[in-house]
Amino acid sequence: MARVHIKGRDGIELDIDALPGTALMDALRDANTGVEGTCGGMMSCGTCHVYVQADWLVRLPAKSQDEADMLEAIAEIVTVKPESRLSCQIPMTEELSGLHLEIGPPT
Amino acid sequence: MGTMNLKMLLESKELERCPFPIPVGWFHVDFSENLKVGEIRNVELFGQEWVLFRTESGKPGMSDPYCPHLGAHMGHGGKVCGEHLRCPFHHWEYDTSGWCKSIPYAKVMPPVVKKQAILRTLPMVEKYGMLWAWYHPQCEPPSFELPYIAEIEDATGYAGTRRGSWTANTCIQEIAENGVDTAHLKFLHGAPGIPPVDASYDGPVMKLDIGKGYIVGTAYGPGLNVMRFNQHGITATMISYSVPISLDKTQMNMSFRHVDYAEGTPELHASKKVIDHMIGAAEGEESAGFESVDFVVWNNKKYRPNPLLCDGDGPVLQFRKWFKQFYPGQEDSTKI
Repeated sequence: MARVHIKGRDGIELDIDALPGTALMDALRDANTGVEGTCGGMMSCGTCHVYVQADWLVRLPAKSQDEADMLEAIAEIVTVKPESRLSCQIPMTEELSGLHLEIGPPT
Repeated sequence: MGTMNLKMLLESKELERCPFPIPVGWFHVDFSENLKVGEIRNVELFGQEWVLFRTESGKPGMSDPYCPHLGAHMGHGGKVCGEHLRCPFHHWEYDTSGWCKSIPYAKVMPPVVKKQAILRTLPMVEKYGMLWAWYHPQCEPPSFELPYIAEIEDATGYAGTRRGSWTANTCIQEIAENGVDTAHLKFLHGAPGIPPVDASYDGPVMKLDIGKGYIVGTAYGPGLNVMRFNQHGITATMISYSVPISLDKTQMNMSFRHVDYAEGTPELHASKKVIDHMIGAAEGEESAGFESVDFVVWNNKKYRPNPLLCDGDGPVLQFRKWFKQFYPGQEDSTKI
């Protein structure tokens, strides 16, 4: 298991466990953090948006063009920052244990 | 006894009647008058169902039936809304090019929607008073245009309302191959001799001259063939527009036109007689038109990719080489 440290939309911080080999989005959705993950990883809904703490950002796989396009699309209705990612595009590994992130605002 | 060529004897067990995919080309869908503004209906062509519709401004559209969202069949309950086809399930809307133009409840459109068409549609044109669709298995845009045909498009000078439509239980290539198979004209149709044939090929266009100017035809891809019959001092024109319904079923459609001669003239009589002769057995003619003799062969034959041809046969293999361009991706197939 990989431990993920989350700051929720209500400001409350908590730790959850994510199963290596699954998408980070799955763990966030199943932990009722407000992440919906409606499209299941197709990068067509933008409901799994998170802000990744800067020191962890560089340890994640790079954004694809499709992910960047979806983030750009939701920027019309929510704040998108350089540390914005779609959590469906972050495959969990043991190495990511300790990851710090903040759940993005509802779309 | 020497060793027998068993392949020769046994190959037919492995042969298929129609081993071809649906060919690339422009194909007749219907006559323009049969699709009203705002109308939507399902048609079976190219081996699948399509939703045919006409927008409020009069533009025809033909789309894959299944909504890219959750797969509803848009030809069952869908509607034309302005310039769009609207899915009944969640009211997603698409234009005639397949671009999603509205998702009424989404705050954010999925990015792919802005990048490309997400619904497969066929490019369409209206020409000769007909609806034409461009079929390409990989959805590539049209690579050639439909030609000007004076006999249909010239507002004055030509006449003839005769049309026909026949269903053949075979594929379009097998039907078209008869155009270059001149020997069958003598033996199946009963023509007095085997006429000479000159064939020339230029991209998607094939020109045939059968019998030194007796029949001069031009094919524009697999879906349109204009054949001019020169006989009794007149020219009568058969415009043939076949469309694949499925891999082994073809709708053969034809319009017959001639010069607008005055009523009662020998030229008008001759024109009508030549047209009768194209289709069936005209009075006083020795040979038979396609309707009376070709179907029995088409509907029962198998395709031999390695035919046993002899001297005196027409340019069958050159024709097949030309036709192969309409099967992209099949360049190395041994079955065709």
